[in-house]
Amino acid sequence: MKDAQTIRPRERDAVLQSLRAGVVPRQGQHLIQVGRAAEVKALLAEIERIADGGSGFRLVIGEYGAGKTFFLYLVRSIALEKKLVTMHADLGPDRRLHASGGQARSLFTELTRNLATRAKPDGGALPSIIERFVTSALQDAGTRGLSVAKVIQERMVSLSELVAGYDFAAVVHAYWKGHEDGNETLKGDAVRWLRGEFTTKTDARAALGVRTIIDDANVYDALKLLARFVRLAGYGGLLVCLDELVNLYKLPSTQARSANYEQILRMLNDCFQGAAVGLGLVLGGTPEFLLDPRKGLYSYEALKSRLAENSFAAPGLVDFTGPTIRLTSLTPEDLYVLLSRIRHVYAGGDKSRYLVSDEGIQAFMNHCSQRIGDAYFRTPRSTVKHYVDLLAVLEQNPHTTWQEQLGHVEIQQERNPDLVPPEEEGAPGDDPTRGAGATPKAGGDDDQLAKFRLG
Amino acid sequence: MISSQSSGSADPEDTGPSRAFGLLHEKVRRWIWDQRWQELHDIQEQAIPLILEGERDVILAAATAGGKTEAAFLPICTKLVDAPRPSIQALYIGPLRALINDQFQRLELLCRDLAIPVHRWHGDVPQGRKRAVLQQPEGILLITPESLEALYVLHGLRVPTLFRDLAYVVIDELHAYPGSERGRQLQSLLHRLELALHRRVRRVGLSATLGDMAMSASFLRPQEHADVAVVVSRAAGQEIQLLLKGYREGPLDPALRPGDGDDTEGDESLSRFAIADHLFGTLRGEHNLVFANSRTNVEWYADRLRVRSEAARVPNEFFPHHGSLARELREHVEERLKEQATPTTVVSTSTLEMGIDIGAVKSIAQIGCPPSVASLRQRLGRSGRRRGDPAILRLYVAERGIDPNTLPQDALRIQLVQTVAMVQLLLAGWCEPPARKALHPSTLVQQLLSIIAQHGAVSAADAWRALCDGGPFAGVDQSMFAMILQTLGKHDLLTQLGDGTLTLGLAGERLVGHYTFYAAFQTPEEWSLVAPNAILGTLPVLHPFSEGAYLIFAGRRWKVTSVEEERRTLHVVPSGAGLPPSFAGMGAVIHERVREEMRRVYLADDLPAFLDREARSLLAEGRESFHRLRLDSSDVIDHGGDTILFPWAGDTTVSTLTLLAKAAALDALEDGLSVTVRDATPARFLERMRTFTREGLPAPTELATGMANLRREKFDLYLPTEALIADCAARYLDLDGAERVLARLLGSASQR
Repeated sequence: MKDAQTIRPRERDAVLQSLRAGVVPRQGQHLIQVGRAAEVKALLAEIERIADGGSGFRLVIGEYGAGKTFFLYLVRSIALEKKLVTMHADLGPDRRLHASGGQARSLFTELTRNLATRAKPDGGALPSIIERFVTSALQDAGTRGLSVAKVIQERMVSLSELVAGYDFAAVVHAYWKGHEDGNETLKGDAVRWLRGEFTTKTDARAALGVRTIIDDANVYDALKLLARFVRLAGYGGLLVCLDELVNLYKLPSTQARSANYEQILRMLNDCFQGAAVGLGLVLGGTPEFLLDPRKGLYSYEALKSRLAENSFAAPGLVDFTGPTIRLTSLTPEDLYVLLSRIRHVYAGGDKSRYLVSDEGIQAFMNHCSQRIGDAYFRTPRSTVKHYVDLLAVLEQNPHTTWQEQLGHVEIQQERNPDLVPPEEEGAPGDDPTRGAGATPKAGGDDDQLAKFRLG
Repeated sequence: MISSQSSGSADPEDTGPSRAFGLLHEKVRRWIWDQRWQELHDIQEQAIPLILEGERDVILAAATAGGKTEAAFLPICTKLVDAPRPSIQALYIGPLRALINDQFQRLELLCRDLAIPVHRWHGDVPQGRKRAVLQQPEGILLITPESLEALYVLHGLRVPTLFRDLAYVVIDELHAYPGSERGRQLQSLLHRLELALHRRVRRVGLSATLGDMAMSASFLRPQEHADVAVVVSRAAGQEIQLLLKGYREGPLDPALRPGDGDDTEGDESLSRFAIADHLFGTLRGEHNLVFANSRTNVEWYADRLRVRSEAARVPNEFFPHHGSLARELREHVEERLKEQATPTTVVSTSTLEMGIDIGAVKSIAQIGCPPSVASLRQRLGRSGRRRGDPAILRLYVAERGIDPNTLPQDALRIQLVQTVAMVQLLLAGWCEPPARKALHPSTLVQQLLSIIAQHGAVSAADAWRALCDGGPFAGVDQSMFAMILQTLGKHDLLTQLGDGTLTLGLAGERLVGHYTFYAAFQTPEEWSLVAPNAILGTLPVLHPFSEGAYLIFAGRRWKVTSVEEERRTLHVVPSGAGLPPSFAGMGAVIHERVREEMRRVYLADDLPAFLDREARSLLAEGRESFHRLRLDSSDVIDHGGDTILFPWAGDTTVSTLTLLAKAAALDALEDGLSVTVRDATPARFLERMRTFTREGLPAPTELATGMANLRREKFDLYLPTEALIADCAARYLDLDGAERVLARLLGSASQR
């Protein structure tokens, strides 16, 4: 099985580097994938439907640390394999679905920056997609003996019927003209427009002769256009992954939240009614983002009725076809498997090079559990990070054993770096070799608030 | 009218080329040449090297118009002129919009030649200008604390980039902040700025108070106050013109007193008319502020002055201003003052003392004893803002006539003596230090909500570390903080996410979303006083009452039977204790030093020059009574079977002594500066108090537990009672002071 397969050094290093930095690896997710077979299967079916010109909408809901981000990355890598174009971005206070101060446009810019294809999995694929579209139009024009402009116009008909489609088509046309005339500025401006980087209509008009820009009000419309466009360029469709939707929950006004939830409702309606062609949306969020009847998606009545979970899917029964997929948190057994996988990756797939024994993994888990209690299951990120750090020390210092090093592993609660007093900076446990005595104000006195729960 | 002006000028020996001048940038020097300045002010000479060199925080203290602003900004501009960065590089925080507008104009003149952009940001600045600053931050930004708060709440994520290369924070009118909610808010804002930037930013405080500089330093940089460099101007102060007018009532006719429902104030009517006449005659034709201590008084004087204007067939220029007036009415009056087009005199409670912009006024009138020296200084600071104008202050004090039934306290002419003491302390440059022990839990609530809005969500531990642990709310420990969070959760100001972080609840969003959120302070509310069969009126309640407490209103003594906090109502019954002293404090907390100064005034025999004839005669009477009562040798007098104690101590000590006497099963009433213990001879009183020296004093929170109406500050209604009692005990009780007084009393009693 997986243990048997060899691991390419490039993949190994990428995975380990990401894990040490506390982020999800961009490649090689399958090497450390644990469980979730049914969920992956459900999304695979969805991806095939999108590639078929259909549409899809999924909410991936799980507690902090349940592995939502990891899951979304995995889905994206599958989508790329299936010749879809993917985009992804984390929502945040300055990146929203709807806004009036540029935050929605900023989300769109981030999405286009992360636009990826199988050939360019790390993003920045927009120019090559346009190039591919233009090249295929050139070929088509050649074989059919038509003018290129005519072919492009013909292909873009389906776009023009959508909101803002006319200007979208005009910008693509401008790109072709730049291509033909060797006008790099014009090409660059067209790409900038498609990335949502124009901030004023005046600038866009001067540069490209179009009257509109992609801004806060039409981000979702632009995504729909892009989905059709990538199909015209020869891809299967577009998968958009949005993560950290809890940031919409945190928006400090009911009005702003409702406006954002309304965009989610539009997405959901379009996908279920088939109005979006070749577009899939996967949104990751926490349970309170979905369920809180006062601030969550359920506070928006129209969404609540559409998202309500299948009432027949009682505990023990599953339904992976609904719009909501629940990811359960990792169990200690899952975590054990995960740590074993990491050990395997670290050893480059060579069992003889394992740095810790099975017993050592168990001891490491016990140690973490004693240090921060059950919370460590909820934050596998820091557990994994420290585990990889430990492996690194063991690898480079062959004379030490995991038994000696275990006592030095210092796991701490995550802290907001913007709230750490300047004189304390550098103190939060970035350095696993730092002894407990060298860490000021750790443990003891802080525990009361570290585990604070509102009653 | 008497002028008091401190003498002094630049150092005569200092004639050589100025070292400070040489340190300035060439363009800044050229600007100074263009201004045709003969020399740098003394404060500028001292400040320039301190600000240009080293890393210390600096306080510059000089009287108004002493050149403080230039002392700070000449060196700051020298630093900025050749080093532009895409960030705000100097932040100026001023308490008033009008002040910011003034300073903006001055700085623009200086910075125009230096090509340093200057921006202002407050409630009246158009959105477009603010957006421009956000898009292209550079140079100097002038802002109010409230607008800075709004900046954090609305653009929290931009703060680190907006201020990335911030080199200096200049805090103008530093003396206006310590001790208040607003001061604590400012400290928190500065602290949060440094948290966001991950480094220390140099602070420069500009103070018009030459008093307690150690206190100012510990306000400016609480953790390292010893390291703050203080520069006090040796140059001439601003001219102050002062007049204290005394008024004397006829003998009091008890038959005319309360119950007739007509006149509910302690002031006697005849002197009121006389004071109103004097105001009418002197203030017309200019912009002035009149401070009367209660809303009832404000309404009476404003109405009386309007009637006088109508009778004289001249346009009315007198308007009332207080917290219960409709906002439109208040704003109309503020506009009129600000525009300076038509002469306007506003009669107000403390509402115009701070915070609201009203521009410059010619003179200040204070009716009755001022609540504190600090507040008197604030009020005076409203006058003479323009360079060269004197600050003008008129004080009016009325004392009751004397007859055989007059209480000892009334014979002492306490109001007049207290006013004299306060004015003398003001002239000596002293004012009350802030109640430093206060926890300010109300402002903590505001800062907590603001920090959550800024970051979206924060963990309880991070919030506590940012605000309390070594931060501005150092007095709040973890368990108190946790308790406060729970209460905020119950009020739906907070909810908790699955990862444990706290975010705003729906009620919290509404609170933070409203523009009134950004101010930490509110004007003190007045409470209704309800007797069993009549509504007596309203009075400002500044400190807490417990049930069974006594208070003075409408010339009578009342016992509080119950407190309705939500409806702001005190239910009272007549206490049947006969007449109270006419003056029993105005609700403000009087500082120990004022009482000591009063005792000195009694013991001295000079007549201060700023008193008019009647005031002099009242002062002489007060001194005579003081000696007749033998208060020079004893602090306890026997008054017909009751004991009257004169602790000559601050109100916190007097309150504590009263609570202690009650705890010792004595019937004690707090009369302002004295405590009356009924049906107890001095010997019995002292005997009872002696038990405390044997058994020790009770804990402050224990004494404070009976206090009701604890919710007085803006966000108090969201707080747990325990936090309020702890705050109240820290603010209003002084067990050490009480212990000192007891030791003195018992010591001198045993000698006898």
